[in-house]
Amino acid sequence: MGVNIRKLLTTASAAVWALLVSAVAAAHTIAGSDASYVQAIDGPAVFPFIYLGAKHMVTGYDHLLFLVGVIFFLYRPRHVVQYVTLFAVGHSITLLLGVLADIRINAYLIDAIIGLSIVYKAFENIDGFRRFLGFEPNTRVAVFVFGLFHGLGLATRLQEFTLSDNGLVTNIISFNIGVEIGQMLALSAVFILLSVWRHRASYLRHAFVSNSVLMTGGFLLAGYQLSAFLLQPPY
Amino acid sequence: MTQADSNQAPSPRNILIASALAFIVAVIILLAVILPAEFGVDPLGTGRLTGLSALSNPINPFEEQLEVHRSDYVEFELGPFESVEYKYLMDLESPLIFSWRADGEVYYDLHAEPAGLGEDYAESFEQGNSSQRSGSYHAPFSGIHGWFWENRSGSTVLVRLYTAGFYQASTVFRDGGDYERSLEPVAK
Repeated sequence: MGVNIRKLLTTASAAVWALLVSAVAAAHTIAGSDASYVQAIDGPAVFPFIYLGAKHMVTGYDHLLFLVGVIFFLYRPRHVVQYVTLFAVGHSITLLLGVLADIRINAYLIDAIIGLSIVYKAFENIDGFRRFLGFEPNTRVAVFVFGLFHGLGLATRLQEFTLSDNGLVTNIISFNIGVEIGQMLALSAVFILLSVWRHRASYLRHAFVSNSVLMTGGFLLAGYQLSAFLLQPPY
Repeated sequence: MTQADSNQAPSPRNILIASALAFIVAVIILLAVILPAEFGVDPLGTGRLTGLSALSNPINPFEEQLEVHRSDYVEFELGPFESVEYKYLMDLESPLIFSWRADGEVYYDLHAEPAGLGEDYAESFEQGNSSQRSGSYHAPFSGIHGWFWENRSGSTVLVRLYTAGFYQASTVFRDGGDYERSLEPVAK
């Protein structure tokens, strides 16, 4: 029991860390001069949109936390590639369709779902589904479905701007390519860090706690976005 | 639980505790920190206690001034390699709006000196070479605020300065001396 209480304390203190991380990156949007650039653009701009996509992904802690959850127990690069491809295909579909079909869903709600996707993945990682439901929902399908949601989030962000129809498809595809590049960059960093940690005995010992912290972060993000949805004035 | 069996699959009880704890910790942080800091909602009173609520105070675009604002127009010539300074006496947080135009390029330096501290504490905010600048300025401290202009060309340059704002007086620094000049409102 002593160990248990210590674990719980670690979880709590690590949650504070998760809070700090989310506080540093206060709003996950395309902002400032990037925003005015996107709005002023008229015509295809391949590299700027690749850059914006990559930047969005590298600085998007919600996507990153989800990916940490996804690859936490993936030891082989082959599996990492498999899962990440499923995630990428998922979000590419909704990003493209979302912008082209002009589907607008409240960005806060989508981001709340993205927060819950982190909770889901962390719960899966601590074996929650097998222990409580008696079976584990297919992990590949889950990653694909959450990929669809993440893509809808990306599409919603892009559509917050009046995008010019001129060169729209080129620009969304460029943005998408940027998202994949950013994801590969961020993922390699996460994978390397996890691999280093994996060689230590502490990895499995702390796996449970780490995923509980991840879950806290997910709840926090979901709560933050839902609060914003409910409390923020509509302008 | 020993070191060895902590590597085994976690027990349903521990999963439940961890998930509940994750949720509770998240809710507490949300209520105690994020709601006050981000949305100005303070259900537990922690925002007031820690001063976090101040973070979400919207900036009021209205800012009261106790005096009537003034405007001023001045036009002066700078011969080759001559320089001049026009400075306004302004209180802390006083705004100023300005435009100046010259018929040739001049070196300029927008700067300020805190009241009573003199040149040693002068702070410079923008300098460069140009024939025109427009902008707004918000006095970061009480003192004299304005421009240094220098004509680094071989021909005489005419400079016109328009300003409006909450200043009290204008001082000119020229030829090694300084004097107070009376303001010349753009419209009476």
